[in-house]
Amino acid sequence: MKKTTMARLCGSASSVLILVLLLLLTAHAQTAPPKPDPETDRVQAMVSQAKKEAEQFSKSGGKDTDAKHPNLKWAATLWQYHVEHPGTPATVVATAESLTLLNRSDRIDEMQAKADTLKLDDPAWQRVIYILLSAASKTKDYGYVIAKADALAQGAVDPEIKALARFTVGNAYWRKKDIEQARTAFRTVVTDYPKSSYAEDAEGNLREIEFLNPGQPAPSFERSTINGEPISMAGFKGKVVVLKFWGTY
Amino acid sequence: MGEVPLLKELYAQYKDQGVALVGISLDEDAQPVREMVAGKAMSWPQILDADGTLVKLFNIKGTPTYYLLDRDGKIAAKDIPIKKLSAAIDELLKK
Repeated sequence: MKKTTMARLCGSASSVLILVLLLLLTAHAQTAPPKPDPETDRVQAMVSQAKKEAEQFSKSGGKDTDAKHPNLKWAATLWQYHVEHPGTPATVVATAESLTLLNRSDRIDEMQAKADTLKLDDPAWQRVIYILLSAASKTKDYGYVIAKADALAQGAVDPEIKALARFTVGNAYWRKKDIEQARTAFRTVVTDYPKSSYAEDAEGNLREIEFLNPGQPAPSFERSTINGEPISMAGFKGKVVVLKFWGTY
Repeated sequence: MGEVPLLKELYAQYKDQGVALVGISLDEDAQPVREMVAGKAMSWPQILDADGTLVKLFNIKGTPTYYLLDRDGKIAAKDIPIKKLSAAIDELLKK
């Protein structure tokens, strides 16, 4: 349809082709991903290489905590990159990946010492805070991540990072089973950062803390299956029910 | 989706013992769900939660996540790993 209108407007087949090409090019430019960053590619290549070497190391019987584990060499290399290239998007990746490798090899002290050198306005915190929480969940020692996240929530510049930090404080207390402190932190996210992407998650967690505990009635719902059959909580009366949330992706 | 074989075993073992299994897919479109369900012969019912209503209702933070409910419709366990499901179901069936 569009083509024929254009053909009438432009008068000749070749100009239609050019017009269509131009339209395609503009459309492409609008949807194209952000400019490739060769430095980020370089860091990603290091990360892939580190992963490959780690796989080989574990295949040949090496343990994650081994002093000769390639993770440690690559953590040092990536940290060196962080030192030499302050303030670039590639450095955010290098910083986070370096700490991830240290966490993976249980070098928690070293990971924390490196995290301590990051300034409160470092954009890498967006990723680093998750790594600290993951390390804390592993060691069951939440003191460090709570202190760090608390400092960030007060001192960071980016409101998204402040919200994330407060949200992380909540998650850390929740995992520590300190429900009162978790509630307080999640409420703060909702009230102080209502527009942040974490406000909705914090609200969800507050609801879960309140209503989704073992022994409480499961939320009731009425839906149809993908085959169009009705399905509801009421229909499961007297049955033990397993709900599996999943995705094909 | 490495859990499907385990889940199929579980379903075969318990479906006639008063245990229901329901898949709630977070996919946006039913087509890939239908394809996987058919391809892997997953015979338990599936709900598509494209609009995230159930995800919100159960505060799901990632997949896969399991909820286990007792015969009275109360939450027995959440975020339970698949390997612990069968023992937990046995426990609930005894009650």
